[in-house]
Amino acid sequence: MGFSKQATMRAIVLGDRDRYVRLVMFVCASISFLAILLIFLFILKESLPAIRQVGIPGLFFSTNWNPNIAKPNAGHYGMLAFTWGTIMTTFGAMIIAAPLGIGAAIFIDQVAPEKMGRVVRRGIELLAGIPSVVIGWFGIILLIPLINGLTGTAGYGVLAASLVLVVMALPTITTLSAETMKAIPIELKEASVAMGATRWQTIYKVLVPSAREGLIIATILGMGRAIGETMAVQMVIGNARQLTFSPFQRTSTLTSRIVTNMGEATGVFRSALFAQALMLLLLSVFLIICIRLVSRERKA
Amino acid sequence: MSDRVRDGRRADRVATGLFWALGLITVALLAFIILEIFGRGLTTALNPKFIFGKPEAIKNGGGVFPMIVSSLYLVVLTLIISLPISLGAAIYMSEYAKKGRVSGFIRFCLDSLATLPSIVFGLFGMALFVVYFRWSYCLMAGACTLAILDLPILLRGTEEALRLVPNSHREASMSLGASKWTTIRQVVVPGAMPGIITATILPIGRIVGESAAIIYTTGLFVRNIPVSPFDTAAPLAGYVWYAQTEGIQADYIKIVNGGAALLLIMVLVIYFLARYLGKRYQEKRLLGG
Repeated sequence: MGFSKQATMRAIVLGDRDRYVRLVMFVCASISFLAILLIFLFILKESLPAIRQVGIPGLFFSTNWNPNIAKPNAGHYGMLAFTWGTIMTTFGAMIIAAPLGIGAAIFIDQVAPEKMGRVVRRGIELLAGIPSVVIGWFGIILLIPLINGLTGTAGYGVLAASLVLVVMALPTITTLSAETMKAIPIELKEASVAMGATRWQTIYKVLVPSAREGLIIATILGMGRAIGETMAVQMVIGNARQLTFSPFQRTSTLTSRIVTNMGEATGVFRSALFAQALMLLLLSVFLIICIRLVSRERKA
Repeated sequence: MSDRVRDGRRADRVATGLFWALGLITVALLAFIILEIFGRGLTTALNPKFIFGKPEAIKNGGGVFPMIVSSLYLVVLTLIISLPISLGAAIYMSEYAKKGRVSGFIRFCLDSLATLPSIVFGLFGMALFVVYFRWSYCLMAGACTLAILDLPILLRGTEEALRLVPNSHREASMSLGASKWTTIRQVVVPGAMPGIITATILPIGRIVGESAAIIYTTGLFVRNIPVSPFDTAAPLAGYVWYAQTEGIQADYIKIVNGGAALLLIMVLVIYFLARYLGKRYQEKRLLGG
């Protein structure tokens, strides 16, 4: 029968088209992998000259940063002071942002009346959207004079950078923590309250322990934001190249150093800045591995 | 009442007060930032001479019109590139991919992309588009960089919208003899459209506010309005940073104040637009429309 043959043909053609469409969609999805691969390869390729010329010890484990703009080959390009700057400002920010963010999440989810909780949640979503140059400018006009007035130091430095980073990391930590708290089965809370526990006892004996891994992941992702933040930090950290352990001294982070020097850098100097981007990439990979380990522990 | 219970009650009251304080601090912080930025810059930001004026490299009194155009141009260009890709990828993840190694790996790549610092994207964009492809600093280079940067959040929002379409709709379509692709095209995507639109608006805010990823790809300063996608441009966020750190205009503080307030206005408008559309979408869903 001609009719059924035609129908079969159409079905085959349609099936083929479905397979073709599926392939196109798959290609779209694999672009994420392609992008990661390309980013890694290009950053690596651009930092190879510095790795070859300066060497891994001189590049990653030296605090001597003394670029030579006219003759890039004659400079020193140790980034350890900036890696330390990144770590120090990030931890400084986390000391405030983690308790504040998790506390705000508990407030939203457990303590606040519904309307108030919504106001805080919206506020935090909005905070996440404020451009980093605006936060940086806020730091310059407000935080720097404040720190300067209170301590008599210049104001620019690690403390100012950490405080700016609190604003940047807070939305990430709060939003993700609130999501985790919300996912806790209500029965756990009900059981605890039924046993006569107060709200506070329920929160710190039942809810926070059962949300522990989620709260850790939220904090790690907040750290990721803090490590990667560039413009706001560059505006308030003072951009000195010294290694420092004092919160009131000027220094640099990896990100702020890249932005400070990129405009004038050529040759090995430029390549050394790409090596700092490589370091940032490695730090983010490290954070992702941490998250995977934590979430595997949760599944087990 | 025993001492234990009384201590417990007191601890509870203290803790409740503390959580209220923490919650209010975050809101106060936001209000403080907005008021401070608007207090210093709103009059400049709303001055037509500032909005529609040409920027000056050295002299006083420059405006930011080319920068505003650059920002909006960049948004459009980025969305033209990233929307089809993220829609395709989201369809694959929600309609085709089975839970397994491949989709797990793609998700891992997306998570990694989402945690990479934006300055890394910026340097990558410079190395690939500006230098390797010889495009020089231009809108296209910035748009391609931002398309990759925003892929994870755009994809997540789109995928969620697709997953919200009830399975019964798909089954009804398939049972009428429609192929999978026809079902997706005629039933799933139209059903998810309002959600997809909401999911698209928030990344727009990120594109407008992004500076680290664009200063080495699109450029920092222009005097003329960019026309072609391959023209050098200077989006507002990058220009505000430039004026603050490297600008030599005598009135740079005015530019930064006004520019920051203008950026904040743009972000607020985008945010409330997203909220409004999201709310309307929800109401429609509740009515079954």
